[in-house]
Amino acid sequence: MQAAVGTAQVPHGHIHPPPDTFIKKYIFSQDHKVIAVQYFITSGLFFVLAGLLAEMMRAQLATANNTLLSPTTYNEAYSVHGSAMVWLVIIPILTGAFGNLVMPLQIGARDVAFPWLNMFSFWLFPPAGILLFGSFIWGAPEAGWTEYPPISLQQSFGTSMWCMAIFLIGVSSTITGLNFLVTIIKMRAPGMTWTRMPLFVWATAVTAFLSFIATANLSAALLGLLIERTFGVPFYDPSKGGSPVLWQHIFWFYSHPAVYIMILPAFGIVSEVLPTFCRRPIFGYKAIAYSSVAIGLVSFAVWAHHMFTSGLAPWVQLPFMILTMLVGIPTGVKIFSWVATLWGGNIRLTTPIYFVLGFLSTFTFGGITGIMLASVPADVHEHATYFVVAHLHYVLFGGSVFGIFAGLYYWWPKMTGRMLDESLGKLHFWLMFVSFNATFLPMHWIGLEGMPRRVSTYDPQYQDTNLFISISAFVLGASMLVFAYNAIKSTISGREAGQNPWGARTLEWMIPSPPPYYNFEDIPVVLSGPYDYGKPLPYREIKADLDYMPIA
Amino acid sequence: MATHVLTVDDATYQEVRDQRLLGFLLFLISDVIVFSSFIYGYIYLRSTVMTWPPPGIEPAALYMAGVNSIVLFGSGATMHYAMEFFKHGDKRKFVGYMIATIFLGLGFLGGQAFEYFNLLHAGTTWPSSIYGASFFTLTGLHGFHVFIGVIFLITVLIQAQRGTYTQQRYFGLTAGALYWHFVDVIWVALFSLLYVWK
Amino acid sequence: MNTEHEEHKLDAGFWRATIVMGVISALGMWGVVVFPIERFVPEAAGIAVQIDWLFKFMAFFSVPILVYVNGYMLYFTVRYRNRTGQPMDRPGSSVHDHKALEFWWTAVPSALMLVLGILSYVLIPQYYTARAASANSVTVEAIGHQFSWEFRYPGLRDPVPDELHLPINVPVTVDVTSTDVIHSFWVPAFRMKQDMIPGMVVPMTFTPTEVGKYEIVCTEFCGVGHSGMRDRYVYVQTQSDFDAWYAAEKTKQAHKTTEVTAAVLASGDAAAGGQLFEVRCTTCHNAAPFDQRKVGPGLANLFHDPAHPKLLSGKAPTPADVAEILEHGLSGPMGQMPNAQLNGLSAKDIADLVAYLKTLK
Repeated sequence: MQAAVGTAQVPHGHIHPPPDTFIKKYIFSQDHKVIAVQYFITSGLFFVLAGLLAEMMRAQLATANNTLLSPTTYNEAYSVHGSAMVWLVIIPILTGAFGNLVMPLQIGARDVAFPWLNMFSFWLFPPAGILLFGSFIWGAPEAGWTEYPPISLQQSFGTSMWCMAIFLIGVSSTITGLNFLVTIIKMRAPGMTWTRMPLFVWATAVTAFLSFIATANLSAALLGLLIERTFGVPFYDPSKGGSPVLWQHIFWFYSHPAVYIMILPAFGIVSEVLPTFCRRPIFGYKAIAYSSVAIGLVSFAVWAHHMFTSGLAPWVQLPFMILTMLVGIPTGVKIFSWVATLWGGNIRLTTPIYFVLGFLSTFTFGGITGIMLASVPADVHEHATYFVVAHLHYVLFGGSVFGIFAGLYYWWPKMTGRMLDESLGKLHFWLMFVSFNATFLPMHWIGLEGMPRRVSTYDPQYQDTNLFISISAFVLGASMLVFAYNAIKSTISGREAGQNPWGARTLEWMIPSPPPYYNFEDIPVVLSGPYDYGKPLPYREIKADLDYMPIA
Repeated sequence: MATHVLTVDDATYQEVRDQRLLGFLLFLISDVIVFSSFIYGYIYLRSTVMTWPPPGIEPAALYMAGVNSIVLFGSGATMHYAMEFFKHGDKRKFVGYMIATIFLGLGFLGGQAFEYFNLLHAGTTWPSSIYGASFFTLTGLHGFHVFIGVIFLITVLIQAQRGTYTQQRYFGLTAGALYWHFVDVIWVALFSLLYVWK
Repeated sequence: MNTEHEEHKLDAGFWRATIVMGVISALGMWGVVVFPIERFVPEAAGIAVQIDWLFKFMAFFSVPILVYVNGYMLYFTVRYRNRTGQPMDRPGSSVHDHKALEFWWTAVPSALMLVLGILSYVLIPQYYTARAASANSVTVEAIGHQFSWEFRYPGLRDPVPDELHLPINVPVTVDVTSTDVIHSFWVPAFRMKQDMIPGMVVPMTFTPTEVGKYEIVCTEFCGVGHSGMRDRYVYVQTQSDFDAWYAAEKTKQAHKTTEVTAAVLASGDAAAGGQLFEVRCTTCHNAAPFDQRKVGPGLANLFHDPAHPKLLSGKAPTPADVAEILEHGLSGPMGQMPNAQLNGLSAKDIADLVAYLKTLK
């Protein structure tokens, strides 16, 4: 059978020739595994930059009337911090990096459906980042990652750059979502029915659906803002007949599903790590899978809970309140199922499972405060205060970032062929877990007492708490250095991982570490679900070491 | 991308085609959503005022849009026939109907330009009011898509002439036709919302 | 490959742990109930007490959830951890699911959410829709600017900057708006917040119940001065103190003289006013029905059309009222109506304009 040149999407039996030049192998690669590494590196860089902005903010907030940063600089810092963390770090890492690295392997495919589009998606990412951080030169936006008009209509050119940057990364996100959805629907290995899919693939499927449906709305909103800023076309400016609340509706119609884009893959990671290190089936596989779908669908119907103080009629507030409360139920089901997975396990306490346990603790707390925000009258007091800043960091850092590190420690051996150091990993975890809680737990209280968000100076009554928070935040930032050192040490001299160091059962562990460019020599045939520890591996045609004895 | 398609076996081609078709449909859905966001904005803004168009604003004429619509829907019909003739192997009719589609598409764009000229002349500009904002943004976005569609169809025609497609394998043509019909469907919505809705 | 696994049961250790967590939960729940929120943040309005109760309700049920999730997580991790010497590859329990357990842990939280939803929903009309309807209730307009507030009282011609005086135990409706960008009007002591959105006027109702001074905080980013848009206060006063303050304000404002006397007003020339209108007013106003707004509303039928908003005193505007607005300007929902000095209008001009407006149907 003559080889089909240039694309790995030719399904099943066919393996295309490997890429030959340095550029094709490492720069403009169409290999999902290389693209994943590119996403990891780029997102990692923006995580550092956005994190430094956060440390600048906390340095300013260490005292009540500090003059370290001017109000303008502070406002630019928190706006770019938020925008970068959402669009240049969390979303790309969970979708572009983890989705690309793991999902095709877990479904037994050689690559994604559209490898060229995958590469194109990635290469939109660095320009978007340059545009966003470049906006500092012309005056970065100051109204947060949400950039409400009319204020965002008045700001300088940097705000237009923000519009362009987010538009670009939005296009990237939409294309990736589309790519992943087609891959999962059409390219699963023979025998892998939906209910035999690993849970990370379920999570990626729902996330992909959200990515390509929701992001289109953000594109429209941003286009409108850019057009109004540049040509004076009235969409949002009330003095010309526009409506500021219109921006809020369209923006949040995207941004609420976006927060689920930012958490569902992390849920998927948790669902992979737990069965492996408890060496038993995940509890409630179907409940976890279907609850992801439920969360994805309902996520489109709760956006206005970000707008409870924007003058909506009460009869409009009611369904949004009820649905927001109800969307906590499928999430609760997952949390309870994960805890139940620990019961009766043979638990190996490795770094990935430490991060999962930390996740369970902090994310549950974040979910609880989310319910407190869902109640409209309570939200009237809590909205736009440090209570919300606390909540969002508990779910996005305590949830997504802890999940990301769990996944990173878990799949690092597969990606690189080397192990990370366990002691350093546990040190990283403890430093991060303690300093994370020390940083964000007190914020709940000062928010309820009366401290608003997006301020560079504040009432001196909050001084002591803010100083404590700032010190903790610096420890939190420093904890990342432990990971960086571990990563470098592993790359240089880490222990060889072998094919399946954790003794797991999903397909990515049935091929060498790192995998060859074609992934599988023969496409496997799948006989049942992947989590049945104690039973034989459910694959045929796998020329792999069928013993899954863990080394750690 | 063009040459290798012919070299794989039928089963492989079918799989690839199914993936590409799904991918293209999903792309069209995401494009529909961009339009629906702007349409939501239009409906929202329109519901904040008692009369439409706002006072002093000269609206777009229905008759011109009606003629234009007939041109565009006509091009949808010619596109349909072009596909049919291709599938039945009638090369000449296929090319003829493709050219007709492309010219009708260009005609629509010309009609839009004429309508824009009239409106601008009458003082209804893009930034003049929420009417201008809604009308020009929606029809402009649509017109941009028609323009891309014309380029798409010209490319498909060139590919067809080069022998890229066979009677069994013509996904590029399918995609072009789907895109063109999508542009038609969007126009039905815009026409109803911008011209018919009083 | 190790295939043998012992099945596990819910044994004495499990129930012991469960009971210990129950005790801890009970302690936490009791702590929530007795926690004196009002010692840290005053409950200075009736609605504040109700919202605090709702918050405690949520915190109350959160405690067992947090205790049990974290508790079982720790207990299982310690109890079922792989100990040195035990084979690492021995599989754990093969239990995949448990229909009854899953049913209850879905149903009970759902029921709790529904209850929470109902309790929340019945509270909304207490502050959001009920315009204060009692005889002595007060309505005040709160207007946000970059970077200060001002408050318009019925009967006071000019707004009061940066101080909101309110009588105790009297229901007040605050009509909240902005003249430039979105601000927010938040009084933590009342637990009341409403975004101040230009182009919208949104009412908020509450009854202050404690005399005192309570900070107002802007909590929606509004520009470079946002951090400083706080440290202004609501002064809740006894009725007599409030009345005294109000009277003093009125006196302060009354000493502003007006040149547009009744005589001048009567001699207005509608034709001259019409020409003035074309030149000076059509940037922002149409000579058309109320809803045909540009920046400001259409001005046709100004004195009789019920669509035109009543003055704060509850009456339709009279020619004298309109003359006053033309002379002193108006902080309205949509923006700043400039005063006569800014507009370059003389007293005669004002009279002419009013005469012209009377002719607009």
